[in-house]
Amino acid sequence: MAIRNLLFEHREIAGIEEMDVYEKLGGYEGLRRAVTLERQAVIDEIKTSGLRGRGGAGFPTWIKWNGIPKNTDKPHYLICNADEGETGTYKDRELMLKLPHLLVEGMVIAGYACLGTAGYIYIRGEYVEPAWQIRKAIDQAYKKGYLGKNILGIEGFNYDLYVHMGAGSYECGEESALMSSLMGERGNPRLKAPHAPLPVHEGVWKSPTLVNNVETYCAATWILKNGGAEYAKLGTERSKGTKIISVSGHIAKPANYEVEMGTPLLELLKAGGVTGGKLKAVIPGGSSVPIMIADKLDKINLDYESCAASGTMLGSGGFMVFNDTTDIVLLMKRTSEFYMHESCGKCTPCREGTRWLFKILDRITSGGGREGDIELLLDICSQIDGRSYCGLGDAAAWPIVGAIKAFREEFEYWIEHKCSPIGDHAVPPTPVVVNPLLTLTPA
Amino acid sequence: MPDNRLTQTEASLNPAVTQMVNIKIDGIELQVPKGENIIESAKRAGVDIPYFCYHPRLSKGDAANCRMCLVDVFAPRRAPDGTVSLAKMPKPQASCTLPADEGMVIVTDSEAVVRDRKGVLEFLLINHPLDCPICDRGGECPLQNNAIFYGAATSRYTEEKRHFPKAYPLAENVVFDRERCIHCARCTRFTEDISGDAQLGFLKRGADMEVGTFEHTAYKSKFSGNVIELCPVGALLSRSYRFKARPWDLHSQRSVCSKCSNGCNIKIDYRLDSLQRINGRINEAVNEEWTCDKGKFGHSYVSSEARLKTPMLKADGEWKAIDWTEALQILVGKLRDADGSVAGIGGQRCTNEDNFAFQKLFRGVLKSNDIDSRVEGYLGSVNKPLYERFGYHAMGNAIAELEDMKTIFVLGSQLVDEQPIIYLRVRKAYRFKGATVINAVSSVPEDSPKVGDFAQLELVYKPGTEAALLKGILSVLSAEKLASVNGSAKGYTLEKAVEETGVSAEAIQQAARLMATGKLAIIAGREIANHTNHLEVVQAIGDLAEATGNAQNINLPGEDVNSQGAADMGVLPDFAPGYAPIENPGKNTAQILQAAADGNLKVLWVAGAKLLEKFANRELAQAAFASDTFVVVNELTMTETAQTADLVLPAASFAEKDGTFTNCERRVQRIYKAFDISLEIKPDWLIFSEIAARLGGTPYFSARDILRDISAQVPAYEGITPKSLGDEGVRWEYPAK
Repeated sequence: MAIRNLLFEHREIAGIEEMDVYEKLGGYEGLRRAVTLERQAVIDEIKTSGLRGRGGAGFPTWIKWNGIPKNTDKPHYLICNADEGETGTYKDRELMLKLPHLLVEGMVIAGYACLGTAGYIYIRGEYVEPAWQIRKAIDQAYKKGYLGKNILGIEGFNYDLYVHMGAGSYECGEESALMSSLMGERGNPRLKAPHAPLPVHEGVWKSPTLVNNVETYCAATWILKNGGAEYAKLGTERSKGTKIISVSGHIAKPANYEVEMGTPLLELLKAGGVTGGKLKAVIPGGSSVPIMIADKLDKINLDYESCAASGTMLGSGGFMVFNDTTDIVLLMKRTSEFYMHESCGKCTPCREGTRWLFKILDRITSGGGREGDIELLLDICSQIDGRSYCGLGDAAAWPIVGAIKAFREEFEYWIEHKCSPIGDHAVPPTPVVVNPLLTLTPA
Repeated sequence: MPDNRLTQTEASLNPAVTQMVNIKIDGIELQVPKGENIIESAKRAGVDIPYFCYHPRLSKGDAANCRMCLVDVFAPRRAPDGTVSLAKMPKPQASCTLPADEGMVIVTDSEAVVRDRKGVLEFLLINHPLDCPICDRGGECPLQNNAIFYGAATSRYTEEKRHFPKAYPLAENVVFDRERCIHCARCTRFTEDISGDAQLGFLKRGADMEVGTFEHTAYKSKFSGNVIELCPVGALLSRSYRFKARPWDLHSQRSVCSKCSNGCNIKIDYRLDSLQRINGRINEAVNEEWTCDKGKFGHSYVSSEARLKTPMLKADGEWKAIDWTEALQILVGKLRDADGSVAGIGGQRCTNEDNFAFQKLFRGVLKSNDIDSRVEGYLGSVNKPLYERFGYHAMGNAIAELEDMKTIFVLGSQLVDEQPIIYLRVRKAYRFKGATVINAVSSVPEDSPKVGDFAQLELVYKPGTEAALLKGILSVLSAEKLASVNGSAKGYTLEKAVEETGVSAEAIQQAARLMATGKLAIIAGREIANHTNHLEVVQAIGDLAEATGNAQNINLPGEDVNSQGAADMGVLPDFAPGYAPIENPGKNTAQILQAAADGNLKVLWVAGAKLLEKFANRELAQAAFASDTFVVVNELTMTETAQTADLVLPAASFAEKDGTFTNCERRVQRIYKAFDISLEIKPDWLIFSEIAARLGGTPYFSARDILRDISAQVPAYEGITPKSLGDEGVRWEYPAK
């Protein structure tokens, strides 16, 4: 199995979250090396490495870094997207919990390369322990002079790092909604290019803003320490380096595995093997990506291109394994409930469509399925996909389209027999919960 | 201070760009300004794109949420070698926020777009109650209209709809039907972008999202009525108009709001003789499209039961209804007997035509110069405060010009109450044009919105110390060599100003520095107008304006609908129409009342002036009314002033007569007669004209007649005809000196 622990190299070492242990094992060498280079050289190092954004979209990291304007008098902000909300993904949690300095160092390196004024680590509200670890690491970094004024004795390299906790919204993991939330607004997405300037030109507070994922910053640390060329040796032609995959579901050893890009998907299943039955399906990149039926998995490698070619996505690496006791329709009902709950409500297709999708699936799984429901589901999905304001609408539609494509007969079975093809799975309709405290009451 | 306001708050309609780009919409090639929203470009091409949430005056950042305006866009791609190619596959994009770019190709009539629109409408209607038959918006509802033209005939939605109680009492004048809401965010954006109180926002999320106020407090605003018109469905409703009429049963007449001197353009919607509602009418130079709540909801008096419908005579302390013949007879008799001992007060709430006829009756027929339209504030010569020094009387700037100021200094004014539309311009200058606002007041009200909410600097001075404050600012300008200061501030020191006004030295210094940075407009309000040392304060304002090079940017707007016009028409003791000086000036309001109180006046004619309610020296007004003077009042209802009169004549409201008003920025605007409440109610000019005819003067037969005389006799009004006024009115200019 192609496990290549780069970021996780020191994961198992006791006390690695403390500054002294981290430094002893080569910590902050990446930063020390970075500051000996020109700023552009740091960005070139990232370019050489071929690192692509690890949050899900896989956008080349160096283009973002390079896009930050060098000659403005506005402050530059760096944001770390640690609002890890994608279902089935928990890699950032482990990175922050066990290797907080890796992230802090990566953000300081990025701050150096992009002339950063301040960095914000936007951590999802539920990640209380990781946030404490990061806070502790930041404190230690300040004490050591890796943060603050004139970092490492470099005149004018002033850089502060802050932790901002989210308030429990999946949507705030979306880059622009995260920026809204960070600025104290409602966590709604904002206009994106071509409708508005890119965040690197006008992000938070009308200033150049760099937004990257936790894993991306951590990889940057490794790259600066070991060299971009070293990183580029790993992976496929267009997907370089490693990717941390959070494996969960019906599998013997669910955990984060750092694998080389391009590793055959089935290799991951060797992590103890599928439990409780035969392998039925895999969702390779978090609940937003289409589900993959078992007999097609042998063609998929874990890199951006191969996943895309197979009709799914590597996404954030939330790798979910399902055995043959899984009812796909119920799975989709639960998935659509999640997106309905997390839709911010801003745009019509997502606000109305996600609720409608859930209601139909709820009706089917409580024995009220009707002929034509599948076509209706597909049609609603096509009315959401690509039409919503941000990616959440797409993310709500893709899994359902994917599931119908792969397991249409299970939907048909539910509609015809009013019960699950798997076994005793009939469920009562989900009750509608209204929270009166949040509803308008006459003043 | 770095500009750290939040991003994406610019108005959807961006300022004019000079660079043009070539785009193609549905095969039509056209040139549009670079960056223009495609939805606007499509209008140029005559291509209709439906929308709900888009609004040119509201911020762009929260638009593009309804997704109704999706179009297919083939985006141009630039290769590194400079060649431009088009994307192979079109992408659905919201045209309301998509900036036009060179080579862009837009398709709005493809099958995909048709399908997208159907899809969005289906989504919007799944939770909409479709209670159109009992909805006020029915018949003028964008949702209905778009559903007809772009929607599917049937819905596939069979689940339960969302339910809420109807008619949530959101504000004093606004009720909210949440079931109908389509979450377009127009109302929430309005409160943040335009009115500035930012009270409405979204609660909860997803399909549960609803518009509301934080902490469920009442929505208290001075501009709440606008959200009713902005709402593209029947979710926000006027409490007074709710269930009153169907839109297609209403007649509509163009008019101008009579509540203050800003002169908002409005539409009067009425059935038979009853006014149902007031809606804003677009006039970019004045109110853009907004109205204030005073204007929108404050017209219930027009069709109210309290309207006077016959002349009323007080006999032995009892009111008696009489007919016009008798009333005119009595009045003519009194006027004849008075032999020139007559005086007139009022006219600020009347049209230019009324005022012209008023002064003509007094000067030409009754041979008296004792008329004055002013009932409050400064009563000396109108030329003294500003005209003699700067060549204009009230407002140096047009309302729209305020947008282009770098700094706006609001002095002694609760601007949002006194000049609501000027307030909105100041707010716009701040919000969308980056102006700095300084507010100086003697007391800060608790209610929002107010200028203080967004002013960079607020100076709270002790009442009456405006002159000291201004001199303090001037002394800083002089001390820091920011400007050369002459006049009133000579020898004045900052310390003295701090002691007198109670404003900190730093604040005065900061204010002075901000004022010296460029184009500065000064807007002075009621506290200045009513100041006992009006001339001294205006002198200091003039010094400040002159020192900073902004002598033409002083604004002392009047308060009543036709304060400006009444003065233009010569309802002043010392000036004939057009500010022509007259040889033997008459008495001003205070002197007239004094004469009446002293028993030296036989007849006093009050034309719609609320003397008892407004005149500073109430005792004097009471004494004047209690004297033997025969007081005749033109009024709509039995006001306190009317109650104390001897004869009350029922006058027409602005909705019942033709004419012109001149607003505070000297814009002459036309009002049209909408309906008659009663044939016994006469416009003021007709009353004056009938009396004039009976006393040997020449009568007028229509407001048009009078306007012809006005344009002939008043130089500034030369060439003004009902036709030349058009829809936007004409702003008259002072002749260049």
